[in-house]
Amino acid sequence: MTRFRVKGAGRVRHDRPVRFTFDGRSFKGREGDTVASALLANGVHLLGRSFKYHRPRGIMTAGSEEPNALINTSRGAGRAEPNTRATVQEIWPGLRTQSQNKWPNLKFDVGAVNDRLYMLFSAGFYYKTFMWPKSFWDRIYEPVIRNAAGLGKAPSEPDPDRYASRYLHTDLLVVGAGPAGLAAAREAAQAGLRVTLVDENAEMGGSLLSEPGVKIDGQAAWDWLAATLVELEERGVRLLCRTTAIGYYHQNMLGLVQRLTDHLETPAESAPRERMWRVRATQVILAQGALEKPLVFDGNDRPGVLLAGAAQTFLNRYGVRVGARAVVATSHDSAWFAAFDLADAGTKVAAIVDTRAEPGAALLAAAEARGIAVLTSHTVTGTKGRLRVASVRVNPLKNGQVGAARSLDCDCLLISGGWTPSLHLFSHTKGSLAWDEETRSFLPDRKTEACEIAGAGRGLWGVAAALEDGVAAGRACILAAGKEATASSAVAVEDDRPGSGESHKELPSDRKPGRARAFVDYQNDVTAKDIRLAVREGMRSIEHVKRYTTNGMATDQGKMSNINGLMIAADAVGKPPPEVGLTTFRPPYTPTSFGAFAGYHRGNHFEVTRKTGIDAWAEAEGAVFEPVAQWRRAWYFPKDGEDMAAAVARECAATRGSLGIFDASTLGKIEVAGPDAVTFMNRMYTNPWTKLAPGRCRYGLLLGEDGFIRDDGVIGRLSADRFHVTTTTGGAARVLNMMEDYLQTEWPDLKVWLTSTTEQWATIALNGPNARHLLVPLVKGLDLSDSAFPHMSVAECEVAGLPARLFRVSFSGELGFEVNVPARYGRQLWESLIEAGSAYDICPYGTETMHVLRAEKGFIIVGQDTDGTVTPDDAGLGWAIGKAKADFVGKRSLARPDLVASGRKQLVGLLTDDATTKLEEGAQIVADPRQALPMKMIGHVTSSYHSSALGRPIALALIEDGRALEGKTLYVPMPGAAHAATVTGTLFYDPDGKRLKL
Amino acid sequence: MTEISTATSSELRIASQSPVARFSLRMREGDRTALGQTLGLDLPGTIGRRTTAGDREALCLGPDEWLLLAPEDERTAITDAAGRVYADHPHSLTEISDRELTILVEGAQAEELLSFACPRDLGRLEPSHGVRTVFDGVSVVLWRDAADRFRLDVWRSFASHVRELLEIGAEELALGL
Amino acid sequence: MLLIDCPYCKESLPELEFAYAGEAHIARPEDPSTLGDEAWRDFLFIRTNAKGPHFERWRHLHGCGRFFNAVRDTVSDRFLVTYKAGEAGPDLQSLKEGGE
Repeated sequence: MTRFRVKGAGRVRHDRPVRFTFDGRSFKGREGDTVASALLANGVHLLGRSFKYHRPRGIMTAGSEEPNALINTSRGAGRAEPNTRATVQEIWPGLRTQSQNKWPNLKFDVGAVNDRLYMLFSAGFYYKTFMWPKSFWDRIYEPVIRNAAGLGKAPSEPDPDRYASRYLHTDLLVVGAGPAGLAAAREAAQAGLRVTLVDENAEMGGSLLSEPGVKIDGQAAWDWLAATLVELEERGVRLLCRTTAIGYYHQNMLGLVQRLTDHLETPAESAPRERMWRVRATQVILAQGALEKPLVFDGNDRPGVLLAGAAQTFLNRYGVRVGARAVVATSHDSAWFAAFDLADAGTKVAAIVDTRAEPGAALLAAAEARGIAVLTSHTVTGTKGRLRVASVRVNPLKNGQVGAARSLDCDCLLISGGWTPSLHLFSHTKGSLAWDEETRSFLPDRKTEACEIAGAGRGLWGVAAALEDGVAAGRACILAAGKEATASSAVAVEDDRPGSGESHKELPSDRKPGRARAFVDYQNDVTAKDIRLAVREGMRSIEHVKRYTTNGMATDQGKMSNINGLMIAADAVGKPPPEVGLTTFRPPYTPTSFGAFAGYHRGNHFEVTRKTGIDAWAEAEGAVFEPVAQWRRAWYFPKDGEDMAAAVARECAATRGSLGIFDASTLGKIEVAGPDAVTFMNRMYTNPWTKLAPGRCRYGLLLGEDGFIRDDGVIGRLSADRFHVTTTTGGAARVLNMMEDYLQTEWPDLKVWLTSTTEQWATIALNGPNARHLLVPLVKGLDLSDSAFPHMSVAECEVAGLPARLFRVSFSGELGFEVNVPARYGRQLWESLIEAGSAYDICPYGTETMHVLRAEKGFIIVGQDTDGTVTPDDAGLGWAIGKAKADFVGKRSLARPDLVASGRKQLVGLLTDDATTKLEEGAQIVADPRQALPMKMIGHVTSSYHSSALGRPIALALIEDGRALEGKTLYVPMPGAAHAATVTGTLFYDPDGKRLKL
Repeated sequence: MTEISTATSSELRIASQSPVARFSLRMREGDRTALGQTLGLDLPGTIGRRTTAGDREALCLGPDEWLLLAPEDERTAITDAAGRVYADHPHSLTEISDRELTILVEGAQAEELLSFACPRDLGRLEPSHGVRTVFDGVSVVLWRDAADRFRLDVWRSFASHVRELLEIGAEELALGL
Repeated sequence: MLLIDCPYCKESLPELEFAYAGEAHIARPEDPSTLGDEAWRDFLFIRTNAKGPHFERWRHLHGCGRFFNAVRDTVSDRFLVTYKAGEAGPDLQSLKEGGE
């Protein structure tokens, strides 16, 4: 038992010691302790160095609002968490924690020199000081400042933990399980609502955990709490503790982060660390209580200075006295109660210093009974002590004058400037706040969501008021749900300690205000002086003051600093606080790990990876893959240590020389069926379809209404009323959506329907002079001869014993077929073809070879050779337009002035003069490389490959009036040199198309 | 329908179903009765509703869209029957048997498992109903066969992603965290 | 994440099932070839960009698949009403009075 542990007090397990380390030193705590309570029990107050001035800092609070006591926690490689609030992190055997932002160590920190230079580091310091020269900002100022000022360091290894997520639908979500939340949840559950109750603490109870002396309905507070939780559980209420509501979004959608394993000694290897709950609640009750404000005076940040309410919590919930000799400085009754509890637990309370002239008689009597000196109408003007407060300087106030100072020795100073309703989540909903003069705080006003606020969130102090208000909020939700509330029994509360108080700007002082280090925002090291300076320098809106001083911009989001900052700013501006306004709170309520947002989306599940039925074969063959939209596709199939260039050259040669096989299953497929199918096709695609006979195919070009190319593909007419449309791999979903859009909203009269069949079919392309030779013995029910089944034909037949839709098409310029079989047979057909193809040295090829072969023929890839600003004429596809058609999507735009004007970029071929340089895709093209900078860029390279068929590199490019430049030399500046290249047509290989007709 | 493989925890069974003949049937509301008569089952007129007749099952997915399931050997019979009324009752009957794979999720925690990645309030999806919805960004047809039994029809290339997430979820549920 | 009432499914469903589809009530001209360049430009590109109630189209993509219309307040991000494609847009005045 340490000096500061109070035997038998609190909710920790005194019989279960837990060892953990802080900065390498081993400490003993108790099961149920946080790092903060365990360190305080060991007399440790110094936990870190401040952000800007490197001032020694200690524990200020007992909750998630903690601005100072930020530590690094770790449990092995990658499992390190910076900026963990010591007041939240529960201890477990073997937990390792470190302090942050210090060098070489916490007690002697070189960075503390900043504190001596504090006069320099005033508001707007960075903006004013590091202005010139401009280039210094990136290279010198910012890195140095970032290094000197800062919080924890992010771990450099990947996070090995799992993160979970879940959707939850509930009738009522209650946020905060203090007396108000518990009462509301119980009321609603009794009426049969599906209720979810969440609390960010390790256990439910809220302020009841710090107020064990209260009696509720004749029971001790903690007995009532236990009984209530049992009842809630029995009524099916979903109880989630260690769960923080981080954001409140539209229509009662809330994000909750549940911490699952950070408090466990040995979590299961597969256990998720955190879970993000996405909750849709019909109604919400916010019962988040209130946050205590510090008083603002010089030296209010010294270790050992902490909020009175926190001291009360450490004592009553954790069984820890925060010091042996306390001074209490307050403007609110609640700190008196903390002083009494501490005095009763054996701490010497040297004095209660109250700014008010007349605290209540009952308080004075209770203080006198305990022998506590009381100094009313007093202000605090300073503290002393190097790494821990040793004394506090107080002065009497008389008629607005600050009297002579006296010093009070202490080892801890408990302060309270009153309480601020915790309305962060309410603010996320854009609910408005109204200034309440009586409580000197903002209270909820107009609501935008179906929610109620209960308890201290509405400025109601004390357990009785919270319970009563919670019941009322619960009943309001019951009525709103159209249910009947049971007769509510009044809750009787004894020994309640509600209290009241007053609110301040910085406390009056007899010292020079410019020298006071009176902190408003502890985490961002913002002082009262900084806020006044900001106002003097012209900031009037609180939003400007916030950004100029960074008040409220730290990871604690100004939970403690907002109202104090406002009070000071309002005083400096000379307006009442509501006119100066409040800054906006935004999600998340507390810092949230990226893992919680990512959930299951990591590693292989970062996003969906679509694979065809043949993918596994390619993987076994050692294929290299590339992502295409959500698909992964075989890119090339290297053999015996080949690099990509060698593999692609071999695949190209094998295909043009004999036979290549390619998995084209990812091609989008849409079945267009119905009596008006041909009318629909005529309207959607540029091409004419009426005269296309069943059994024949045509290249189809799809434009947007703006006249630019959206997609293309071969389309087969299966029967008079049925088309098999293919789309690009990446365009499949987009094209179907666009077609549905026109069909549903522009032409609902058409009797035609669309069905995606992309995944119904596995598609295998066979290209090369031996393609027919391979297929003939495998095909049943179809004559494959050129006369019976010419290029651009489609038929149903049997291939290798499987039902098939066979297309004779070519994207390579070689004799080509595409075999479609039901997807489950894709792999089987592939292997049959590979086996039968061995007689022709069949060569599996990937997307790169497919690209090279098509580029040699000048076939475009939509999205590579087009970019959403390319018309059919630009791409040299004017022939694909049905000139006789009255209308089709995009037709009118083809006559837009800017689409018929000269100077448009046209697709052309480009051959480098040295016949060896492969141009970079995306490289810009200029007419004269010696022209002055900036050069006029007249186009860019869209596709570029080494062509094994031509024995040289080839390229496609979009160039202004490119077709008129055929034969001219242009230049392509690339790293090292500007390469001369000649403009050509786009058809590089087999210009007469003889190979198609083999 | 037989299952091909299972992954189990105490409260959950995840299985793949063997293939069935599956058709997308599209038509106008006015032709619903006639098509139903031809196909031998009363096609439901409300989105989310299902009907069965023998081994055939129909689910209304949209105002002009039905999903039709049947034993594989009835495939030709169905196409032929629909073809016979096409002239008077135009429609689109397109076979999609191989487009989707079906995953069965069964057990007391089945609904909770689906809530890992399905944003719908599944408590409102009644047994013997079905809907198209989304599971981790993937379009799925979700059939609720009983309070604790679901089927997910997932496009073939998305199925392993969905299945793996379900298995991660089942493992997580088994931990009881 | 919003909840959206699908006028076809007659159910309030999560936004993740839906896809936005641009401004509503911009009908494709019956015969675009009769439009002058400026009228055609307006059809293609000129949109309301309303601050406040905005007529827009959504598709119940992962659901019944239907495109439908909605009035959504672009300030509050709230849907005021949804209705089937082809139906006339509601009177905004009546919506404001009935809503909020």
